[in-house]
Amino acid sequence: MSFSRSAAIVGAAEANEIGYPEEPVTALQLHMESIKNVSEQTGIPISDIDGIFSVNMTSEIAEHLGLHPKYIETTAVGGCSFEIHVHHAMAAIHAGIIDIALVTHGENGWSQRKIPGGARYPRNETSPAVQMSMPYGLFGAPSNYAHSMVAHNHRFGTTPEDFAHIAVVTREWATLNPRAVMHSKDTHEFGGPITIEDVQKAPMITWPLTMLHCCLQTDHGGSVIVARPEIARSLRTKPVWVAGAGENMSHSNMLEMGDFTQTSAYLSAQTAYEMAGMGPNDIELALVYDSFTLTAGITMEMLGLAPRGEGYKLWRDGHAAPGGRLPINTNGGGLSFNHSGMYGMQLLIEGYRQLSGTAEDGINGIKGKQTDARTAIVNGTGGTLSTTGTLILEAD
Amino acid sequence: MAYDKPIPTPSALTQPFWDGAREGKLMLPRCTNCNRVHWYPRHLCPFCHHDVIEWFEASGQGRLHTYAVQHRAFGGWAKEVPFVTCYIDLNEGDRMMGVLRGVDGKKPESIKIGSLCQIEFDQANEDVHIPFWRVVEEASS
Repeated sequence: MSFSRSAAIVGAAEANEIGYPEEPVTALQLHMESIKNVSEQTGIPISDIDGIFSVNMTSEIAEHLGLHPKYIETTAVGGCSFEIHVHHAMAAIHAGIIDIALVTHGENGWSQRKIPGGARYPRNETSPAVQMSMPYGLFGAPSNYAHSMVAHNHRFGTTPEDFAHIAVVTREWATLNPRAVMHSKDTHEFGGPITIEDVQKAPMITWPLTMLHCCLQTDHGGSVIVARPEIARSLRTKPVWVAGAGENMSHSNMLEMGDFTQTSAYLSAQTAYEMAGMGPNDIELALVYDSFTLTAGITMEMLGLAPRGEGYKLWRDGHAAPGGRLPINTNGGGLSFNHSGMYGMQLLIEGYRQLSGTAEDGINGIKGKQTDARTAIVNGTGGTLSTTGTLILEAD
Repeated sequence: MAYDKPIPTPSALTQPFWDGAREGKLMLPRCTNCNRVHWYPRHLCPFCHHDVIEWFEASGQGRLHTYAVQHRAFGGWAKEVPFVTCYIDLNEGDRMMGVLRGVDGKKPESIKIGSLCQIEFDQANEDVHIPFWRVVEEASS
């Protein structure tokens, strides 16, 4: 039995300061500021939250808030975890277990470098997959993802320059978003518009990925509240309906990625489209994970919004850009807005703002980038192109 | 010179592989039920979920599936940049990752997907020999 539209996102807010704060902040602080902000935005008292969803410190957050939630969830599968949390929150609401779910993210991808004991991701060296890849000098996401770009280039005859269009257009969106790290020269010395040449001549990280093919590494805190329809309709904020939701995975370690040119997004999207009773032609806005230009390009292919091998053309041909027929990553993306390590919450917040009509005048309002879209597909990708969560959101 | 790069710690599940490596042999796991080869070593066959796995000596050859060139690295790898990481489709089935030798990381476009590669092992310490790959026959472009 489908539970399409049995819950809505009723509010979405960020921490007070995101990006590169001057004074280092902790993940806990980023969580708390965004929770306070989403409570004030919606008028829902924090004490009314009866389900809590986060990746790695769920019980600590609930304790910090003095909550005794009836639903506690810690699905942690990388950046798509938050899309998956919304899916699970809607299931819990539909099942009658809870009424109001908090999905929350706090991650000091930037500040952790300055805070003792702030490092993340301990490596489990008893894992056979880790044993068979740790000798080879890979470090961080780019060192893995580049293999996928090379495979895409080989199979489809694409080039790194093709994917550079994604970075250029995404930066164009960032110039409309004052909270984007790369908004302008005022926000960052390398901010403001960029060209294909800038992207291709940037320092090489892992060939063929230059620095401008890669996302930022910033701080971010964000929270959304998911509530049952009766509550959603009673609030001062506009509901954004969860019409469809799906999740899937193809592997955990890149060693097990069968086809380096596709992700499980085609499966999570299929589930979400079916639940929503919609298809690619119904989508007016796409918010897709751009940890790398490559990730966004392939994801658009997986979501059925571009033919295989041709995802990059949506950016190259201007469709994804401001004023285009299918705006993509209107916040400026993980490439130029903000990427803390797990970027799924930033996507959710932008989806809520665009569809609730508050992208220009909501809390932390952003002028000039409201798309008036009525439907959005939101796709998170976690791990090394491993796990995906897809939501189809609909305006009220 | 002492081996200065990360050295894995073998576990019971992977020990037959490391025992083979010490003798310069590529040992691979194979399911005794469906006969399919899998990599990395598993408790259960990932294809049929049978739990009796045997090890056999493989050819040590495969084809280059995809690659990348690492320009940022740490520890012992820092002085090797740009070096080429690779995924190799093994002759016997499934895929291994590693570092590819016999290619020029400064000319990444010259590396040919589909090239025939041969495994070789470097001694890291008394117990662990690390596998590397080398192009032995370039694919035609």
